[in-house]
Amino acid sequence: MSPFARLRVVRLFLASGATLRALGWGIVAGLSVLLAATAVDSYLSLSLATRHLLQLVAFGAGIATLAALLWRDRRVWTLHRVALWVEERDPSIAYALVTAVETGDSTLVRTVPKDGWTRTARVGALRAPLVPLAATAITLIVLLLLPAGAVARIRSPHPGDSIRGAVRRNPARSRLSPLLARIEPPAYTHTSASTVDDPTEIRPIAGSVVTFSGQGRAEGIVARVNAESLVANARGDQWSIRMVVGAKPAVVRLTDRSFERLVVINAVVDAPPIVSLHKPAKDSVLRVATGSLALSADATDDVGLTSAAFEYIISSGEGETFKFRSGTVGGSPITAPGATHASITAALPLDALKLVPGDVVHIRAVARDGNTVSGPGVGASETRALRVARTGEYDSLAVEAAAPTEEAKNVVSQRMLIMLAEALEKRRPRLARDSMVGESRTIAADQKRLRRTVGDVVFMRLGGNQSAEEHSDDDAQARAKTMQELLARADSATNRSSDALDFQAGESPVVAVNKPLLEAYNAMWDASTQLELGEPGAALPHMRRALAAIEKARQAERLYLRGRPPQVVIDIDKARLKGKDKGSPATRPPLPAADSATRSFESRLVRAIELSRNDAAATIDSLTVLRIDALADNPGFAATLLPAIDAMRRGRGADATAALARARRMLAGPPTVRDSITRWGGNP
Amino acid sequence: MTTEFVFATAQYDSGDWDSAPLVPANIIDTIARYTEINVAPTGVIAPLSDPRMLRYPFLYLTGHLPVRFSDAERRNVRQFVDRGGLLFIDDHNHDIDGVFHKTATEEIARTVAPLAELPNDHPLYSSFFKFDGPPTTSHELNGWGDNLVHKHLLAVQRRGRIAVLFSSKDYSSEWNYHPDSKRFLSVDNTRFAVNLVVYALTA
Repeated sequence: MSPFARLRVVRLFLASGATLRALGWGIVAGLSVLLAATAVDSYLSLSLATRHLLQLVAFGAGIATLAALLWRDRRVWTLHRVALWVEERDPSIAYALVTAVETGDSTLVRTVPKDGWTRTARVGALRAPLVPLAATAITLIVLLLLPAGAVARIRSPHPGDSIRGAVRRNPARSRLSPLLARIEPPAYTHTSASTVDDPTEIRPIAGSVVTFSGQGRAEGIVARVNAESLVANARGDQWSIRMVVGAKPAVVRLTDRSFERLVVINAVVDAPPIVSLHKPAKDSVLRVATGSLALSADATDDVGLTSAAFEYIISSGEGETFKFRSGTVGGSPITAPGATHASITAALPLDALKLVPGDVVHIRAVARDGNTVSGPGVGASETRALRVARTGEYDSLAVEAAAPTEEAKNVVSQRMLIMLAEALEKRRPRLARDSMVGESRTIAADQKRLRRTVGDVVFMRLGGNQSAEEHSDDDAQARAKTMQELLARADSATNRSSDALDFQAGESPVVAVNKPLLEAYNAMWDASTQLELGEPGAALPHMRRALAAIEKARQAERLYLRGRPPQVVIDIDKARLKGKDKGSPATRPPLPAADSATRSFESRLVRAIELSRNDAAATIDSLTVLRIDALADNPGFAATLLPAIDAMRRGRGADATAALARARRMLAGPPTVRDSITRWGGNP
Repeated sequence: MTTEFVFATAQYDSGDWDSAPLVPANIIDTIARYTEINVAPTGVIAPLSDPRMLRYPFLYLTGHLPVRFSDAERRNVRQFVDRGGLLFIDDHNHDIDGVFHKTATEEIARTVAPLAELPNDHPLYSSFFKFDGPPTTSHELNGWGDNLVHKHLLAVQRRGRIAVLFSSKDYSSEWNYHPDSKRFLSVDNTRFAVNLVVYALTA
């Protein structure tokens, strides 16, 4: 074997020894950090996040030590340093080996002992890790001597281990800390139990079983929820209190002698399924009820669906005499556990229903969830009504082989114009401005034509003649007058908020039904103006508004066909106190102001803030209880309280002032806009 | 803000909400006839899908056909009840096996809360005139509908107040006549409506 080959073997031994030593000290460093963390945790009960962080610190310390030692011993990988190491141990070589390595001439080394170098290197490599191995062993022994639970809290921290590794505490201290909440959801949710360490607020699903537990004896520990008191049970050297979560938010007030702790249970109520009926998409009138009707719907649920189906009710008759039949089609159980979405389809055979003229079929999709606690939750889609036209009935909704109505034509055309404008807007970057404006004006011309058609429909319905817009220029005066009149009517019909509901108070149902068309007319005006300017992008919102308004006008026909109820105006003065009998009313005060709850919240908030001067913990508790009370009546206010509570819990490092001010503003509502400034010297 | 009481008829999308068109005028006449409540001479129609229905403290809802609220209607009704309004629902079919009863009670259970029997000594029956329970109607007695005399009204109560009142008595048929015809009655059969309105307006 050549001197260089022998030297490489020595280098291998030395490098192995150095690596093992670095590894050993790295392990010692990591274990030492864990040991220190365990000792500290035994006294201070470190939080889960801190323990996770300490795990990382221990790992980092090990890696850093390993890296530092490997870096320190990095020269062991060079043959020159290895040659020096050999020369130190065998002076007889007289630097021939080093010189050979430097010059690369192995012939300078005259004699090479058979295995002298490798044996020395092997011994050195074996000795190198002995000290760190001994240190590792000592550290492990110390760790093994510590309580098993205490080490486990550091070795594998996880939610729910806050009361593991129990250390005997001072009996005078609170047994409510550390606290553990174990949440077992209802079986139907198919979700596993979870635990929360030191909870301040938990969000279990309604019907869950929550078990609070802590260290120490059970005697004297009580939990109060609303008006109910629950006594703790003993379990080994721990206590526990078990409760079932209701549907409403609640505050659990845990007490141990003079110690008290609040935990908010913000129950999540299993919502009923949300069902959307896709087919049929709209109400309709059938001339003849034959064939079958395609039905399709989607259902979603937050936890899990169990069944979905279509329900129908057929009402026959008129006036005071109605008969009803009902049934279900397309029903199917949903067997997959936890399925949160389902699509159902079915065909409703109209022939088999034996519908007669005048019958109305009400169809909806219904889905049920698996809620066994407060349910099952039933979700239903909107109802579609299909009416079979009576003999001789020819209203605008009767379906027969004929040209579409004006509104239907407008819908189709307006959609086409929107598509053209969208396509043009998409091509805008590639088009020259002139081409853009030219194409836009072409669409504008069609938009104007449509607007005139809509105007015709409105004019006819409002009792006027055909649209004045078709008049010649000679009639400019008359056209302008008519347009003004139309726009005045449109403005009146679309902007009269106070009278809109009151048909009997003077507004004609015809005007009301035509409102959407008037809205469409105005929107088309805006759209065509933008299109004339070559701005299809700016025109599109107006065009879509026009389409939506026309759609609304088509829907409004149903209302119109019911007719206008008879209008009877009572002469109040004439009728006043002309009754034959006298009442004997009990003393009943007027209803309190609707915002009394708001005022109550406001005063409680002020009181809680005042408490913060002397007792921040009491303020936190007061705000917590206030938040729970506000969740149902004023969820917006409750939401603004949460950051304030969090800020106060964080202590001096966080300022809750801004959050509390937001909560106060939320209670006060939006600022009041006045027409003028108030007078001097008095309250507004 | 108006200070007069406006009688509002609830309009919903699924059924014949206007099946008793003379009831509003008749009740308005009755309120003027027995009380000094400042009442508007005509009623209004309040679409449940329109948030402006929240302006009215008392809503009258009737019909024969299925009652299925849209999402907007359901949302507004829920808010109406939360704000302390009184929704009075009367089954124009006077048939507890009828589709109005079935669908309306189901819809109210879903939207607000399940209905429960209202005790006949409830303050509603003494808020103006004294009644021993809900007054019977001629339609209950003449064999129409379910051929039953319903001893109780149903209600959902919120904070001790009636939020939704459901009647199977068919007051809609009983009160659906021109107010001028009252002079032919020996006993005014619309007096219970006064109790409803007075209850709705007071605590």
